[in-house]
Amino acid sequence: MTPLSSYLVLAAIIFFIGLLGALTRRHAIIVLICIELMLNAANLNFIAFWRFNPHPEAMLGPIFVLFSIAVAGSEAAVGLALVISIYRFYRSVDVEKMNALQG
Amino acid sequence: MNITFTILSTLAIVSALLAARLRNLVYAVLSLMIFFSALAALFIVLLAEFIGAVQILVYVGAVGILILFAIMLTHHIAGSTGERIDARGWFWAIPAAGAVLFGILLPAIIYTPLPLVPSSSTYEPSVLHLGQALMSPYAATLEIMALLLTAAMIGAVVIAMTLQPGDKEKHADQN
Repeated sequence: MTPLSSYLVLAAIIFFIGLLGALTRRHAIIVLICIELMLNAANLNFIAFWRFNPHPEAMLGPIFVLFSIAVAGSEAAVGLALVISIYRFYRSVDVEKMNALQG
Repeated sequence: MNITFTILSTLAIVSALLAARLRNLVYAVLSLMIFFSALAALFIVLLAEFIGAVQILVYVGAVGILILFAIMLTHHIAGSTGERIDARGWFWAIPAAGAVLFGILLPAIIYTPLPLVPSSSTYEPSVLHLGQALMSPYAATLEIMALLLTAAMIGAVVIAMTLQPGDKEKHADQN
């Protein structure tokens, strides 16, 4: 069987890729995609810890992941609505151009 | 380290890299869908088969299509070839993300004693326990989550539908 640390390392690498993409990319939709990557890495951690837990019948991991998926889904819906609204205002989805609040 | 985990983790890492780095947005979203599918397969390998199904339904089905629609409703899909895809100051992101990975996450994994074998190797359907837990101890949380989803849906519609003052003038100019 695969040990728990392999799953954790995989989730850490996926989180790293998502963080790197969210910090470097210019396109707002790609930034949202990278946020989804990071959320999924966290979900993988929850499921892996639940699988290696001595009391899996408590179902803490899957329930947390279920709620996390629901929150991530609403986050994606509201975020993409914001992207569309911002595109309508700025005629661009470039995060560098969204500097109206800059002092 | 068995062969299933190796294949699925390689697929997940490669498709996550492609989703984060591709210039063409539609290819990036399709790669993201591959990533979600690989993760759903990993959930099934970890005996959380219901979560795997939910992952495919919600992420590959809903979120992927939602992102594709958002790309369709905003402009340039392909991204012009000469334009840079990275933001200003992107090189600061590499040490920051590297510090998170190599300074926090990997040492925490390496220096913590972790179990090597799962608690039970027998297959047991998790949906029964999941449904019972959602109905008795987590019923209030489930209701709050339903409320959150409704509020998010209404909020997304309201945000995306609001017309800016400039838009009306532009429509008037076009007419």
